[in-house]
Amino acid sequence: MGSIDVVVYCEAGAGQTEASNASLITAGAKLAANQGGRVVCLLVGNDIAEVAGELGQYVDEVRVADAPRHADYDPLTVLGALQKLVVEIDPCAVLFGHTHIGMDLAARLSAKLGTSLISNCFDVQCEAGATHFLRPMYRGRVNAKVAVEGGIIVATIQQSGARQPDLKGGGQVIAIEVEYAEDRRIRPLKTIAPTRSGVDIAKADIVVAGGRGVGEKENFALVEALAAAVGGVSACSRPLVDIGWFTSSSQVGLSGTTVKPKLYIACGISGAVEHVHGMKESGTIVAINKDPDAPIFRIADIGIVGDLLELLPLITTEVKSTRTA
Amino acid sequence: MKIITFVKHVPSSGATPRIAVTKRGIEEEGLAYEANETDLYAIEEALYQRFVHQGTVTAVTIGPRRAQAALHVAYAKGVDHGIHVLTEGSHGTDTALNVAAAAEVVKKQGFDLIFTGIQADDDLQGLFGIALAEHLGIPVISAVTQVNVSADKKTAVVTRELGGGYKEEFEVDLPCLCTVQFGIRPVRYSSIMAIVKARSRKIESMSLEAMKIASRQASRMSIAELSYPENSGQCQMLDGAPAEAVRTLVANLVEKGVI
Ligand SMILES: Cc1cc2nc3c(=O)[nH]c(=O)nc-3n(C[C@H](O)[C@H](O)[C@H](O)COP(=O)(O)OP(=O)(O)OC[C@H]3O[C@@H](n4cnc5c(N)ncnc54)[C@H](O)[C@@H]3O)c2cc1C
Repeated sequence: MGSIDVVVYCEAGAGQTEASNASLITAGAKLAANQGGRVVCLLVGNDIAEVAGELGQYVDEVRVADAPRHADYDPLTVLGALQKLVVEIDPCAVLFGHTHIGMDLAARLSAKLGTSLISNCFDVQCEAGATHFLRPMYRGRVNAKVAVEGGIIVATIQQSGARQPDLKGGGQVIAIEVEYAEDRRIRPLKTIAPTRSGVDIAKADIVVAGGRGVGEKENFALVEALAAAVGGVSACSRPLVDIGWFTSSSQVGLSGTTVKPKLYIACGISGAVEHVHGMKESGTIVAINKDPDAPIFRIADIGIVGDLLELLPLITTEVKSTRTA
Repeated sequence: MKIITFVKHVPSSGATPRIAVTKRGIEEEGLAYEANETDLYAIEEALYQRFVHQGTVTAVTIGPRRAQAALHVAYAKGVDHGIHVLTEGSHGTDTALNVAAAAEVVKKQGFDLIFTGIQADDDLQGLFGIALAEHLGIPVISAVTQVNVSADKKTAVVTRELGGGYKEEFEVDLPCLCTVQFGIRPVRYSSIMAIVKARSRKIESMSLEAMKIASRQASRMSIAELSYPENSGQCQMLDGAPAEAVRTLVANLVEKGVI
């Protein structure tokens, strides 16, 4: 008989995505409640006692390996710890955040266990004995409701809204020792912090962001003009950093900066999960995109379908005339 | 150095695929396809490593007949060989089978470095590269943004991306596999002419069915239902003429007090 417990791999520390822990635990708690099992959290890092204590409020048990040698992410060492835990408690599911580290570990673990990986889940549904996961496919244009037959469920869970998991209280925090993996063919050298330059887009009240839909570099001036008119800052999606127009300080998203301005205007951005991760908690989200099916409209408050080259100058002029009126 | 790179043929970014009546797949007819975006970055990295360390680059695609178009793109970019693993039955969507087939192909070829894209735009799984390395028993680093192979070609210093703009450097023993992140180096534009010319290049073809490959999966993910995402209902779409939509937008933002 398979067990009923759920393991959640939480993150804390440099380069880790702590913000994803909440949705992860919420999903884990749902699965565990359905099975009548417990949620056991694994946390590996350096100087993370505080996070471990906090997580203990939301899960049944936290196993924490807190040591300087875990300061840099060491995939094989963490994988070893996960495998050991899987053998010990025989969980029905092991869940990760849909983050850089979560995606890495989940794929490694699923390959080791010979199970399917369900990555990128945004919802878990437990009905009448069947558990389904909802996840995007085809660049977010189609949703898939998937089930897994047999074996342990290995999944990554998208960070969603500000949904806090239910406070349980009284979870046990247990310190554990995690040894280096025997396989040393991958040797962590160092973690490199981002070099921030220019404006801190995380501090702005209004962010006007341009994406690949901007087309030519000159057109970005339209984004900047609107940002200036509304008294905000300009930012961008990843492709504009990848092609070298901007440095990563301007990038919004999972591998860039997370922003929560009171107004976010997305221009020519499709709304990939990794971008949305970094802006979905903005107060009001406006999306301008020529594709009515663009996923960005699903998280926006106000949308206009159209060509940004035409719309942005109109908006800038309208804002200016309202300001002077 | 022997470098192998994988490229998947996926539905193009511009359109929403039509869901089949069974709701378990999409209608392939009439759909446009392209080479997966991060796989193009993987090809560029493979070619760069060949430029620095000499050797050969082999591009492999796994999929139905149409997937050969992805190899034409790879040839146009400059790879030396193209291999097509034909999968009529599964349409190339069964990751476990693809991994098992890919493992056979690369073992036959021999390799020092394997590059794949970090994820495919169709299934958005991010599993193939890591699972392939696991199957082969070689080290793998995901979300790679830089690769420096040592002079003796026994190790490489590999940089990967972490969350929030952080990166991490590893030293890795070769042979190894890297799943390549967007932006590792510029993707050069391939002209239509170059792609047309590439169509006459020889593609080595093998059939997945003839390879008698069985996946080692203990469990299987199945699609119960596909659906079009619903708008949460919260998005107010401003229709009408652009000038009118813009006036409503700005009035709305002023009313909300955000500008
Ligand atoms: C591990 C990982 C981490 C990532 N991290 C990030 C991240 O931090 N930030 C990030 O942004 N991405 C990130 N990505 C990449 C992400 O998956 C997408 O590829 C990226 O966000 C796409 O950017 P985009 O929306 O600008 O481009 P596209 O997806 O190409 O969208 C362009 C949009 O512009 C529209 N458009 C085109 N022309 C016009 C016009 N004239 N007028 C109006 N609209 C127009 C199109 O309809 C389309 O919707 C990450 C990916 C991975 C795998």
